[in-house]
Amino acid sequence: MPGAGLAVESRGRHYRRMALKQEDRDSAEWLRGLNAEGPAREGAVTRLHSLLLRVARSEAARRSAGLPERGREEVDDLCHQAASDAAMVILRKLPEFRGDSRFTTWACKFALFEISTRLRRHAWRHRRIDPDEQVWERLADSAPPALTRLEQTETLHCLQRAIRDDLTDRQRLIFQAAVLDEVPIDVLAERLDSTRGAIYKILYDSRGRLRKAIARSEGQEERV
Amino acid sequence: MSRDPLEGLLGHTGRDPGCEAAFEEFDRYCDAALRGEDLERGFPEFMNHVRNCAACREDAEGLLAALRGMMEE
Repeated sequence: MPGAGLAVESRGRHYRRMALKQEDRDSAEWLRGLNAEGPAREGAVTRLHSLLLRVARSEAARRSAGLPERGREEVDDLCHQAASDAAMVILRKLPEFRGDSRFTTWACKFALFEISTRLRRHAWRHRRIDPDEQVWERLADSAPPALTRLEQTETLHCLQRAIRDDLTDRQRLIFQAAVLDEVPIDVLAERLDSTRGAIYKILYDSRGRLRKAIARSEGQEERV
Repeated sequence: MSRDPLEGLLGHTGRDPGCEAAFEEFDRYCDAALRGEDLERGFPEFMNHVRNCAACREDAEGLLAALRGMMEE
């Protein structure tokens, strides 16, 4: 019955509007507290820190299986550092919050980013990053899955040639480390004294060059 | 497994705004995901970036997991 369908849809919209209004109220409450002065502000900052610490610990727990045994006892310190640094960033950026999302979601992304970067760097802190020249020779056993899929194809040889001939030294280093050796880009950013965004841009440009080189060699410009 | 084996190495070819622009979208994307919205339609460039960038993909999954965890408490 069309009328019933519309009623259900309208009720759905109504509940969603109500939920959004509640979210707006929650966000407004956070903003009021953080923009206040004295004890009201201190209380809001304490609640914010507690929220950020929960997010950091939740992420550390989610990734615990991937963390090396060595240094696990330091992970909770990393969570505290991440929550404190995220709180400082949030308080500084507060005027930029436009309300496009819930305040808590906006705030939690800074905590997630801070802990995530720390955990990756922590996991790699005792590991060297050396371009592995043997990667092409060990395809059969331990190469990354993406590379193994190309094994014994002409494309693999084109790719190998393109990496050697079409990339700059820095592009080759970053492509090989990030894609073939699976080094996280924020670890690379730290080691190369750069930023995650800048490393990703170099990786993106390298991939574009390699695609073009492969398409050229295969006579398939449309693939680029 | 991706149909084009090159995608695993060279990424998807659609428009990719990069990590910094994707970070700006993280919160809107997660709220939309929690509301069950069509993410491919609402966030095509963000989706393409997280397909290409392992770090941002892992971060998006982490933020969503944390937010879901808090909603269930």
